[in-house]
Amino acid sequence: MEPRVKIYTVGQVNSLVKAAIEEQLPPRLTVRGEISDWKHHSSGHCYFLLKDKTGVLPCVMWASRFKSVKFAPEDGIAVLATGYVDVYTIGGKYQLYLDKLEPEGIGALQLAFEQMLKRLAAQGLFDEQHKKPLPQYPMRIGILTSESGAALHDITESIRHRWHCAKLLFYPVPVQGEGAAAEIAEALREVNRRNRKLRLDVLIVGRGGGSLEDLWAFNEEVLARAIFDSEIPVISAVGHEVDTTIADLVADARASTPTRAGVVAVPDMQEVLSQLAGAERRLTGQTVARLKHARQDLTIVLAGALFRNPLWLVQNGRQQLDDAQAQLAEALRAKLDSARRLLSAGYEQVVRIEPHRLLGARTVDLNNLANRAGGAISAIVNRCRMNLTARENRLEGLNPKSVLRRGYSITSSRRTGAVVKDPADVAIGDLLVTELAGENLIESEVTNKLKRQQTDNVGRDN
Amino acid sequence: MADKKQENDIGRLSFEEAIKQLTGIVARIEQGEIALQDSLEQYERGMALIKHCRTILNKAEERIEKISKEETPQDKQQQ
Repeated sequence: MEPRVKIYTVGQVNSLVKAAIEEQLPPRLTVRGEISDWKHHSSGHCYFLLKDKTGVLPCVMWASRFKSVKFAPEDGIAVLATGYVDVYTIGGKYQLYLDKLEPEGIGALQLAFEQMLKRLAAQGLFDEQHKKPLPQYPMRIGILTSESGAALHDITESIRHRWHCAKLLFYPVPVQGEGAAAEIAEALREVNRRNRKLRLDVLIVGRGGGSLEDLWAFNEEVLARAIFDSEIPVISAVGHEVDTTIADLVADARASTPTRAGVVAVPDMQEVLSQLAGAERRLTGQTVARLKHARQDLTIVLAGALFRNPLWLVQNGRQQLDDAQAQLAEALRAKLDSARRLLSAGYEQVVRIEPHRLLGARTVDLNNLANRAGGAISAIVNRCRMNLTARENRLEGLNPKSVLRRGYSITSSRRTGAVVKDPADVAIGDLLVTELAGENLIESEVTNKLKRQQTDNVGRDN
Repeated sequence: MADKKQENDIGRLSFEEAIKQLTGIVARIEQGEIALQDSLEQYERGMALIKHCRTILNKAEERIEKISKEETPQDKQQQ
């Protein structure tokens, strides 16, 4: 007899396997293995195999769970995967559904930090060439930190102790927890955008100490990028001395703690003041020395012969003049002597040619010429004299005194001395002086002012 | 007139610029390469710069100003 064979459906088998798994396996288990065939689907869900020497275990991690994984899983990384095993009936396989994935050995955050470090370093974010120089004397300092933490107080006090003249501008941001990095990054971008108005010379971004988890915002890429992109130089001041964050590495300068921010960000007031005093000393010292030098130079010049005895130049000149005069006299004498010698030699020659005989003939010629010249000159003189007489006569006619000879007279007021030209020039009772020809004067008195008939004005004399 | 103008021009300098000019002046005077008259002018300018720097340093900023987030539409327009 053929035993009766029970026939199962696919669904029944899968249900039985599912039930067996549920019965046999703990509802939550952690599996050690190495990541293989890692796939991060565009939906955000992750699919991979956990493998060891004996075989593989298919794994699934939903996007909602994967969000909290800080490091970047990749093939070959040894991990501890925690979740539950279930059957994927459509695929006909059982899988580990992860809610937690951690690197084995080191902490997940540590690994994440190292991965980020490697990646951003490869992109050149930490390169020295991108570091902006800090302003030497910042006057407006922006501080990005939490409003509640001690870091704000630590940073501001560390600045005030050294450099109280700076204006501090505080921008409150959350410094830990989900989204903190993005908020700090946005704050950084915002103050950069607004810096034409804010006029910040430097920015300090930081927070006090805490666990690696607490400081995590300062290791996130979004903040690293914002620090890298900042036009305003950024100083990081995160955690304790021993903590190094990605933000520290990408910042233009790093303060190991918030209380050290002042030392990094600002100069020491006392030092700057003493530098100023030094500059003042040097400036004054040099200028005074320079003046002293110039005064000494002047003294030397004044001590010279010229200024001690101003007549020196004149006396000197006088002597030179005397010398020159003597030389001149000597030279003249020499010249005269030689001329005299030449003359006497010439005289000898002239005597030798008997000049008086030549002279006789020349005298006759000369007399003739003189007679002709004399006649010509007399003619010219006579013509000129006639011209002169004619002009004299004409000129005589214009002389007012010559008019007197023709019977006219000049009347002037005794009071004013002016010639009377108008009845208004005199008053009744004024004395008049009338001048006649031949320097004769008559004195009379004005008794009346009359006007002659219009028909005859010929006799209106002056 | 020139002094007034010089004072105004120094008054507008930032601390950094003033220190830079001052350092230049001290160096020039110490090198002694400038004429006496010039060195006196430079000396006066140097002293004015020192005074300006001290004025800036003596100004104590007591308050921390809080930067408010840009939210108002006016702020946006000004950007």
